[in-house]
Amino acid sequence: MREKATYLLAILAAVVMIGNLHTVFTQLPDEAMQGAVYRIIFIHVPAAINADIFFTIALVTAILFLATKNFVYDSITVSCVEVGAMLTFLNLVTGSIWGRNQWGVWWAWDLRMTGQLMCFLLYMGYLLVRPAIAEPTQRATMSSIISIFAYADIPLVLMAIRLPNVRTQHPGPVLETGTLAPEFRGPFAIGILAMFLISSALVLVRLHQESAQREIDSLRRELHAR
Amino acid sequence: MDITNLTFLFYGYSAGWIIITLFVLMLVARGRKIDGELARLKSLVEDRER
Amino acid sequence: MSGLQAAWAIARKDLRTELRTKESINAAASFALVILVLFSFAFDLGREELYAISGGLLWLVYSFAGALIVNRGFAREVPNDCLDVLLASPAPSWALFLGKSVSAFCLLVIVEAISLPVFGLFYNIRWTQNVGPLVLVILLATWGITVVGTAFSAVTVNVRLRELMLPVLLYPVLIPLLIGAMGTTTALFGGEALTGDNAAPLKLLVGFDAIYTALSLYLIEYVLIV
Repeated sequence: MREKATYLLAILAAVVMIGNLHTVFTQLPDEAMQGAVYRIIFIHVPAAINADIFFTIALVTAILFLATKNFVYDSITVSCVEVGAMLTFLNLVTGSIWGRNQWGVWWAWDLRMTGQLMCFLLYMGYLLVRPAIAEPTQRATMSSIISIFAYADIPLVLMAIRLPNVRTQHPGPVLETGTLAPEFRGPFAIGILAMFLISSALVLVRLHQESAQREIDSLRRELHAR
Repeated sequence: MDITNLTFLFYGYSAGWIIITLFVLMLVARGRKIDGELARLKSLVEDRER
Repeated sequence: MSGLQAAWAIARKDLRTELRTKESINAAASFALVILVLFSFAFDLGREELYAISGGLLWLVYSFAGALIVNRGFAREVPNDCLDVLLASPAPSWALFLGKSVSAFCLLVIVEAISLPVFGLFYNIRWTQNVGPLVLVILLATWGITVVGTAFSAVTVNVRLRELMLPVLLYPVLIPLLIGAMGTTTALFGGEALTGDNAAPLKLLVGFDAIYTALSLYLIEYVLIV
């Protein structure tokens, strides 16, 4: 049942993604200043937005784990953090490629790139420390706390890189400034949805693995007890 | 479609799909390892019960 | 005995043990001096250029020394199960944490007070012209380093490769704090007043300290009692 749901979700994600890319590549006109390359934003920005979504889910489930000590919540946290870190990495790499084309450099230390990089480093800390804790309850508790600490840092990072002495050259956030032309809005929203579906399918696969891992752990304990 | 900057558009999307594919391959590898381990432990438990 | 009294007792205990053996304070101070010497070989700079990076240099030294000091915080209680005894005592766990943070704070301030004049002397930086605001910035940022450091020292106390994992977790979280402290310190070394653009990072430092002090005091219970 669960496996079928995962497959269905993955197929749905593929259909939405391919349909959207078809629109993006064949229907939409080129952007006046950038030519064809602006189409990167249809995966670049959805990756960033979905990373934020999954990090937020991870924060909620981390708090729920501390409150209830139910290991399912910890599994959701680690699955979401892993997928979120992957999406942040995707966002950084596609942004870097766009920057090489438009700015002439791979990396510019601009406001958003720096922020995303720090976000990535914060959650890499979580993913690196987690396997180093052997005892399951401790592993779940400590990683929940680390993910809460990491999430609390994000607003501070955003504040720090906006300090008066830090410069920026990133195009303004399209959703806030409203500079995105009307014909781009539909594909943009569907792009976010498509990336969300793909990521959710990945989270489900990862969740399934985590529950199998818990079964392994309990079988091991059972064998030891005899 | 304009040919200007098309190369970098191609690089961008390739990088995106490569990252997702690598992540999926990592998941598959881990899934196989976990499934193998689970099967091994289950047969071990059955052996002990007999 | 109230919680604050217990915290004070823990802080006094830790400081007394440390000042008798001077283990980590000697290590951290000499480490700071070695880095200061190394920097002079790494950068061959004119006076103006040196001023432009002076704040950054100073905070790199301080954060490295800080990681060495906080590493000992909870690790020193592991042999002989001292941590279990402390947890069994009537002192609440937030008081235990607060005491440990205060003692780490005092130790790091001592190390900083030793290395600041040496830094000024080696690099010909006139830090005395702005000493009041400089002390304020140093105290605020040092509290941030020690409170997050002590929390992570509790999180990693049972982790394999603890000494490696602590910096992996600590530095990404400290980045916004260090960005703020570095900018302001550079301006203060240049003889600028702590107003306008130079005062903006102060808000960040205060916010960082407030958020992480509250978060750590609240979450430490979950970290210590698993």
